Amino acid sequence: MILRRKAGRSALIAGALASTLVLAACGSTADNQPGGTTGAGGVKTDKGVTDSTITLGIMGDTTGVFKNLGAAINAGNSIWAEDVNAAGGICNRQIKIEIVDHGYKADTAKTLYPQLEPKVLGMVQLLGSPVLAALKQNLIDDNLTAAPASWSSEILNNPNIMMIGTTYDLEIIDGLAYLQQEGLIKEGDTIGHIYIDGEYGGNGLKGSKFYAEKHGLTVKESKITSTDSDLTNIVTGLRGDGVKAIVLTTTPGQSASALAANQALGLNVPVLGNNPTFDPALLQSPAANALGNLYVAASSPPFSSKTPKAVEVAAKYKQKYAGAPLNAGLHVGYVEGLVWQAVLTKACESGDLTRVGVQKALTSLSSVKTDDLVAELDYSSPGTPPTRGVYIAKVDPAAEGGLTEVAPLFTAPDAEGYKAPHQKG
Amino acid sequence: MSDTLVASPRAPLPPMPARRRRNWLKIVATLLLFVLLLLLPIITGTGVAYLKVAQYVLIGAVGGIGLTLLVGQAGQLSLAHPFFLLVGAVSYAVIAGDPEESDDLVGLGLPPLVAVIGAVVICGLIGLAFAPVAGRLRGIYLGVASLSLVFLGLWLGQSLEMFTGGTSTGRTPPTFELFGFPFSNADPSPTLFGVAIEKEQRLWYLFLALAFIAYFLARGAVNSRVGRSWRAVRDNEAAATAMGVDVRRVKAGAFVVSSAFAGLAGVMTALWLDLVKPDENEFTGTYSLAVSIAYLAIVIIGGLGSVPGAVVGSIVVYGLEKFFRLGATEFGWFAEAEFGGINAVVLSAFIYGAAVVLVVLFEPGGAAAIGRRLAARMRRPAAVASVPNGRPTPERNDDDPPA
Repeated sequence: MILRRKAGRSALIAGALASTLVLAACGSTADNQPGGTTGAGGVKTDKGVTDSTITLGIMGDTTGVFKNLGAAINAGNSIWAEDVNAAGGICNRQIKIEIVDHGYKADTAKTLYPQLEPKVLGMVQLLGSPVLAALKQNLIDDNLTAAPASWSSEILNNPNIMMIGTTYDLEIIDGLAYLQQEGLIKEGDTIGHIYIDGEYGGNGLKGSKFYAEKHGLTVKESKITSTDSDLTNIVTGLRGDGVKAIVLTTTPGQSASALAANQALGLNVPVLGNNPTFDPALLQSPAANALGNLYVAASSPPFSSKTPKAVEVAAKYKQKYAGAPLNAGLHVGYVEGLVWQAVLTKACESGDLTRVGVQKALTSLSSVKTDDLVAELDYSSPGTPPTRGVYIAKVDPAAEGGLTEVAPLFTAPDAEGYKAPHQKG
Repeated sequence: MSDTLVASPRAPLPPMPARRRRNWLKIVATLLLFVLLLLLPIITGTGVAYLKVAQYVLIGAVGGIGLTLLVGQAGQLSLAHPFFLLVGAVSYAVIAGDPEESDDLVGLGLPPLVAVIGAVVICGLIGLAFAPVAGRLRGIYLGVASLSLVFLGLWLGQSLEMFTGGTSTGRTPPTFELFGFPFSNADPSPTLFGVAIEKEQRLWYLFLALAFIAYFLARGAVNSRVGRSWRAVRDNEAAATAMGVDVRRVKAGAFVVSSAFAGLAGVMTALWLDLVKPDENEFTGTYSLAVSIAYLAIVIIGGLGSVPGAVVGSIVVYGLEKFFRLGATEFGWFAEAEFGGINAVVLSAFIYGAAVVLVVLFEPGGAAAIGRRLAARMRRPAAVASVPNGRPTPERNDDDPPA
């Protein structure tokens, strides 16, 4: 007992001492308020910009489920940075890129973000919907602008998101319009839509529902989870419903299963997917012969596109990363860079390369051109997808990247009339 | 307790001065640890990422303590922890949520502290509802039955969008506030030794307080009549009944307590992620089977039934991977291995896997047993029993030496 009381007393003394120390160390951030400083060329800067460099971040995935796509997007970002730096940089500053890999896990991204954030002006690539959802508040708190590698119109309520290209819902609307234009579906038909319940699939479903309502189609919805692997029973059910086309917002593996079932069951209807539904690796899978019915509607061109800029970037990629997978990620990454370039140039002209300056520059841009890597982008009305145009491609084993372009950049009239979830007015 | 009585007859009873010295050592070490934890935000300074990892370890610790009580002390296997995490997170968001925020979301607008308590109580009650199952099954059968809750959680999370916000966007949990003090960024905010006490620093102190409460409640339960009845039921139900223990009630109680701890960990997860979002599938995600396994690994590495062990387990399982990732970026470890090869992720997966295998093979009592052995070695360098009190079940950590 005596021992315990003694310990208690010394703890008390220690506690009192500690609290005195703590009180002495207390202060307030109000005492020292750093604002933006003025750097070289009379440009105002805060984080991630020095007199000679502009640092942008990548939070990508090179170890998780999207590692093939993620690595190609990273490569696209780096090739852009090299091109810019070779041409003298932006605002007399060289572009530097800091890459971190979150493996498509929200909790990892949440930990890595505070390490990356102080070093960068903005993010040239932020991959993954779960990651984006978890970092939403951080981006707002830190005024950090990010180009997402995730195309759901649900995220456009975040003013810090610099959407590049069009969104999943619009991809599907444009795609269905293309199928109808080609005579593959007609008014009054029934179509099936298989979707992963989540940001990606749910957003795609919005598109087919909208299009169906406009054209008197009936949509048979099938909800799956992102790890389901065999879709045969679902396709069988759709055959019973007499569908004339199937829309997919699924993973590449699931697309292969649906396409194989489509062929094996003798259904053989056209299948429409968007960018993430296809991976060239499927051409080496047992389902390779069944892929022919797949049309892909995407805002960036297929790897084999004849668009001059796409050809040029693809050539550089093959030279620099020999043997690396050929997929659409490359152009996605490059065009992310091009849009950042437009924003940074504009911010530099306004003499404000701070994070707030970048945001102002972004919303002042109503027409960003990217050499047709995506349709012209309009950022002047936040909440609205900046563009509504897509490329349509069809699976072709002979083409590099497995897809060949069947329709150049086009925007369906219905897409113009679509109101995105966070669109104002 | 009876340590000294059954010690090897060759070793004389330790004289009093030695005992006093040991206590002082312990008190000083505990105090140092406490001060270190309190000063952690100052030590990490601007490296907030490391503080974020430390917060995450505390979440794992709180959840792990809950599971170690259930699995180690009460002898019931449960894989349902992620379900209770989800229920805790959603309950917090619903109870504290702003009713005006959105027409599609239910929010009661109650104070966040009430929401935390409410979430814990709700999880306890749901644990109680599962008690009839838990009371009838044991071992791997109970494990599989509890697994169904994870699937139930996946389905409910996707269907009850007015509570969970749905898998598309989820919902933002309200900022925690205590008597008007918000746990968010503020301007101006107070500084301590020149480090601004912003959102992450505040959250750290909140998590630390919650973890301490969880820790001492669990220690209290283990060292009291409750813990003895858990162990009695675990070791022999017939004998427990003969001693007047109501077996069904004790089993239900253990499940309730464990679920409540998981619920608290769920609330902490929501605050840590700034997001409540049900998973898109049952295998990966915040409330998935991967998390069930991670918690099982936490309690096995830490030592079944040991409360401090669960904290150590959480450091290994929840802390290491994130620490390696941060280190990989900061110090350029494994920089050359960008495409394939050994990188931070692969390495930490190896360490975590190897830890489980090595523990099961060589020290079934886990970190707790290793700790006990080290402490015993410091006390009596000569005679060290690897199995305390010669107990035939070395994987059990019934009564850790009192702190």
